[in-house]
Amino acid sequence: MASTACFMIVSRNDIPIYEAEVGAAVKKEDAAQQHQFILHAALDIVQDLAWTTSAMFLKAIDRFNDLVVSVYVTAVIHTRLMLLHDSRNDDGIKSFFQEVHELYIKILLNPLYLPGSRITSSHFDTKVRALARKYL
Amino acid sequence: MIRVAVLPIGPIPPSLFRDYASMLFLHHKIDLSTISSFYTEHQKSPFAHQPWDSNGSLRFKFIVGGSPPSPWEDFQSNRKTLAVIGICHCPSSPDLGLVAEQFAVACKGYSSSLVQRCFAFAPGDSQLEDYKRKEGNLILFPPADRQTQEFHLLTMMQDIAASLLMEFEKWVLQAESGGTILKTPLDSQASLSSEEVIKAKKRRLGRAQKTIGDYCLLAGSPVDANAHYSTALELARLTGDYFWYAGALEGSVCALLVDRMGQKDPVLEEEVKFRYDSVILHYRKSFIQDNAQRVSPVSFELEATLKLARFLCRRELAKEVAELLTAAADGAKSLIDASDRLILYVEVARLFGTLGHHRKAAFFSRQVAQLYLQQESRLAAISAMQVLAMTTKAYRVQSRASIAKSSLPNEIGSTQADGGKMHHHSIVSLFESQWSTIQMVVLREILLSAVRAGDPLAAWSAAARLLRSYYPLITPAGQNGLEGALANSAEKLPSGTRCADPALPFVRLHSFPLHPSQMDIVKRNPDREDWWAGSAPSGPFIYTPFSKGEPNNSNKHELIWVVGEPVQVLVELANPCGFNLMVDSIYLSVHSGNFDAFPISVNLPPNSSKVITLSGIPTKVGPMAIPGCLVHCFGVITEHLFRDVDNLLLGAAQGLVISDPFRCCGSVKLKNVVVPNISVVPPLPLLVSHVVGGDGALILYEGEIRDVLITLANAGTVSVEQAHISLSGKNQDSVLSFACEALKDALPLKPGAEVTVPITLKAWQLGLVDADSASKSLFGSTGRQAKDLSSPMLVIHYSGSLVSSGEAITDEPAVPPGRRLVVPLNICVLQGLSFVKARLLSMEIPAHVGENPPKLQNVENGSSEDARSPNSSENKTDSLVRIDPYRGSWGLRFLELELSNPTDVVFEISVSVQLEKPSVEDSSCGDRDTAEFGYPKTRIDRDYTARVLIPLEHFKLPILDGSFFVKDSQIGPTTSRSSSFSEKNAKAELNASIKNLISRIKVRWQSGRNSSGELNIKDAIQAALQTSVMDVLLPDPLTFGFRLAENYNRRAKLSPNKDFHNEVHSPVSKGSVLAHDMTPMEVLVRNNTKEMIRMSLSITCRDVAGENCIESNKATVLWAGVLNSVSVEVPPLREIKHSFSLYFLVPGEYTLLAAAEIDDANDLLRARARSNSPDEPIFCRGPPFHVRVIAHV
Repeated sequence: MASTACFMIVSRNDIPIYEAEVGAAVKKEDAAQQHQFILHAALDIVQDLAWTTSAMFLKAIDRFNDLVVSVYVTAVIHTRLMLLHDSRNDDGIKSFFQEVHELYIKILLNPLYLPGSRITSSHFDTKVRALARKYL
Repeated sequence: MIRVAVLPIGPIPPSLFRDYASMLFLHHKIDLSTISSFYTEHQKSPFAHQPWDSNGSLRFKFIVGGSPPSPWEDFQSNRKTLAVIGICHCPSSPDLGLVAEQFAVACKGYSSSLVQRCFAFAPGDSQLEDYKRKEGNLILFPPADRQTQEFHLLTMMQDIAASLLMEFEKWVLQAESGGTILKTPLDSQASLSSEEVIKAKKRRLGRAQKTIGDYCLLAGSPVDANAHYSTALELARLTGDYFWYAGALEGSVCALLVDRMGQKDPVLEEEVKFRYDSVILHYRKSFIQDNAQRVSPVSFELEATLKLARFLCRRELAKEVAELLTAAADGAKSLIDASDRLILYVEVARLFGTLGHHRKAAFFSRQVAQLYLQQESRLAAISAMQVLAMTTKAYRVQSRASIAKSSLPNEIGSTQADGGKMHHHSIVSLFESQWSTIQMVVLREILLSAVRAGDPLAAWSAAARLLRSYYPLITPAGQNGLEGALANSAEKLPSGTRCADPALPFVRLHSFPLHPSQMDIVKRNPDREDWWAGSAPSGPFIYTPFSKGEPNNSNKHELIWVVGEPVQVLVELANPCGFNLMVDSIYLSVHSGNFDAFPISVNLPPNSSKVITLSGIPTKVGPMAIPGCLVHCFGVITEHLFRDVDNLLLGAAQGLVISDPFRCCGSVKLKNVVVPNISVVPPLPLLVSHVVGGDGALILYEGEIRDVLITLANAGTVSVEQAHISLSGKNQDSVLSFACEALKDALPLKPGAEVTVPITLKAWQLGLVDADSASKSLFGSTGRQAKDLSSPMLVIHYSGSLVSSGEAITDEPAVPPGRRLVVPLNICVLQGLSFVKARLLSMEIPAHVGENPPKLQNVENGSSEDARSPNSSENKTDSLVRIDPYRGSWGLRFLELELSNPTDVVFEISVSVQLEKPSVEDSSCGDRDTAEFGYPKTRIDRDYTARVLIPLEHFKLPILDGSFFVKDSQIGPTTSRSSSFSEKNAKAELNASIKNLISRIKVRWQSGRNSSGELNIKDAIQAALQTSVMDVLLPDPLTFGFRLAENYNRRAKLSPNKDFHNEVHSPVSKGSVLAHDMTPMEVLVRNNTKEMIRMSLSITCRDVAGENCIESNKATVLWAGVLNSVSVEVPPLREIKHSFSLYFLVPGEYTLLAAAEIDDANDLLRARARSNSPDEPIFCRGPPFHVRVIAHV
């Protein structure tokens, strides 16, 4: 399990619709904010890179200090699953992304969920955190 | 670039210094061609390939205030401060000698400077004198306009450039010949071994070559520079002097680029990239572990990286550049000096910004700001604040002010046009990039830095944005803190400061109250007489189904305001925070400048919302827009736009925004109110109505008739030119008349003038429910209920003159609208007399036999004449009930009305019957005028019931006609049905005659002095009459009458009346016969049908006891002539006379009766007699006639 990891889902309109600190390290508010800042900044890079490759998983596209940003871009409505991490466990991250993508699709299938709005399902949250423990 | 320190010498105002320096900065590039005149070649120039003719130039980098010497001066000559320029303001430093001294002292700090000049501006005359005697670096600029001074300055700069060039040449020649010792902090301080001494000598040559190359570049000769760099590269590679190798390589790239300036060449680009990669590599190689603590070439490596990134910085190469910049940013860790890191981040942010990666740029800007904030100084805080302000766009937390500058009219326009009809995606896009966490952090940092920097307005703005946008995420304690920050900032601000960012109360439009119905404005249609028609929804309904189709069409929402008349707008304020919000003043913000708004102050408790009324007066004609409110709160004036809140609420409804400020304050959800198009029109007349005698509800009893005066006054400033009155609402028929002419006559109604319009009202009948509500509302608090429900309204359309008063600003001469005044006639109807029942009573009063029976035809004529003649009181009473002695007295019928009075006042009832003789085909009855008969008044006390009798005697028709028989057959159930054709016709006729009869009966009442009315009891009367209408209306087929024969010497007038018994006491001569006297009498039989009737007539006489006194054994009356079974034939509509004589033996009262058995009765007669079988004999009996027999006197 990585010591620091911040997972976010960013909708097509660049609105964060889900965010979770999934790292094992002691959580500090400052750090969490810094993580969001880094992820926000990384959107610029994602925006460029996403169109240059057919792969959904873009590994380590950005970094700041020792924190690395990996991104998984979903094909259909350009939702970006972004993970800020300090580990180099690419395979784990990839699996994590794939599983979360499945969860996200299930959320999308919910007729009451308005695409692009915040994900508030606690079930989703629990599952994501479990996946983070499993893979990261 | 040649570094030039620019220093202020002597006291000089900062603004002037900035001004002078800016003049200097214009000349940062001096072309070689321009300085040739100042250049004197002392010896052969080492710059063999100086491009004098073409575009060679010297470039200056002015460093205001100078800078401390860098330890890396030797390594890169452009780090040396090669020239010093002093700037002196003569008026403030009069002693030029002192200036020169000061300048000399200042120059000492710049040991490497080759040229020093001191520019003195605006010298006085004495100073000019002084200057002529002196020599030195001091240069005076004579006072002149700016252009001239700039020209002088250019000349001076060219001089400086030439001097520098000559100095460079001198230096290079010296270095080439003698060599020089060049060191960098990198070089080990340790003593060198002999082997290393030799190596160092070689290195020294290479380094000298590199530096000469630098000077060549500075002198603007890239070709020379390149040659020297190549030599230096060779030497440095041989000696393993990586640091200088990289430096030389960098220099060679510079030389290459300067040489090929302006060319874009992929090959060149590749070359530069390749060389720079090598530069970076060699800088990295030169990293020496042992002195890494003290100095490190890493900053050169980073600098090279950034330079390469800047060179490549283009959208197409974004990926490469981003990688370079990321690498550079990584290098920040190894930088020791915080200010180096700061510079690095600034540069990285700038390059990302250029690349179009705004979020990255913002990220690094924030890093910069954080570094600034770590320095505990005010200046750093200001810098931090400014840097953060640049990030706000990327984080979408801009101040409204900065948005306004870069204005986004498209976005605003589209939002406005769409109104509430935006579909989901565009709503989402409104809230794009709502990274609330980081937005809050950024705003908090701006607030912090602004507070530290001492910029209260920025602090206020940041706190306001934070509070307004993120209040749900801030704890109550945090909210209080922000409130404190706002208050503190406001204290430091001058009063009346405006801020573009609104703070708290959320303001949304609640509604535009419609014009009160008294001031309604109606569009005028000039083409029509009734100009108000079709322009405004009429009637009391706010909602009409026709307007439902386009609810959001903004064209539909139009408001017209009138200059000079106060208007009101309702807005709702919400304070979702946990502190008490005091709004010092709030008023409508109108940009069109034609509105005077009245401010009010509001206090909003925590978590509350309030609807307030904002008012104002339009001052000028033209369109008006109300985008929002101006709010003075927390010491600052801000504009709150309705649109922002609308968008916010829209977002909240979609779940995109955290919270709806109004709903969390407990306010109800409100429909999105669109700001209508408001246009202001020139002053219009304004009618104000007022009911004479008080505006309260009129209290009327059912059926009461009352005159009401309504005063209309023109309270406007324009006279009323046209006016029209109409009715609307319920119970319109209760308004009997209104004097439209009174108003029309008064036109034009000047301002201030008044007109009184009389109106006649008649209270309507209360239904059952009405009665309840009316009594309730009467005893309840207000009469509003009754007024709104059922009162009629007087609608007055009026307008000023058709041509507008000239100041209309529109091109087309718009017709000024008219107005509508609705005057509700507040009528409260009370239950009055109530009708209990109506009955038909019959009464039999025998007629009196007189000697002078008038002709039948004339009876009614005579009687009516009698009624008119006021000769005697008896006649008057006669007129009340008229009994036709020949026809009617027997079957006299009365209509009895039972009325009850549940009220607490006394009513007096008067019944009048309008007599109207219907014209019949028989011309014997001439047309007659209507006559009214009044009956004595009946008084009904409160809570009592009284009966009123109405005789119905005069309605009998003169002829029993076949047509009436047909009518009869309709009503009478026994008769067979006749031909179908006449049926309907006849029925209608009968109904008409019944109606006619009923309508002639009027029951009026009066109560007290001034209330009077009429009972509406037609239906009841009709019901009462329905069954026996035939008897009332139709005459008997035969009418019998008795009279004294002509030759009877005393004339007596028959006076059959109600007060018959009074008549008894009247003089004898009136109508009595004498006993023991032969009295000739006649019986008159009239045929009321149109056919001949044959019959056998019989006459009897009875005494008071009812005994037949002619035929019985104790007969008291003797007779002569035929009394029994007299066969007579009566022609149609004629009468016959049968004479006989009676001899009364005993005085007293006798009754004469005539009866007839009709032979061969036809159907008509049978029907009239209601006989069932055709064989049954038809008897016709006349009414009894009284004969008074008196004893002989």
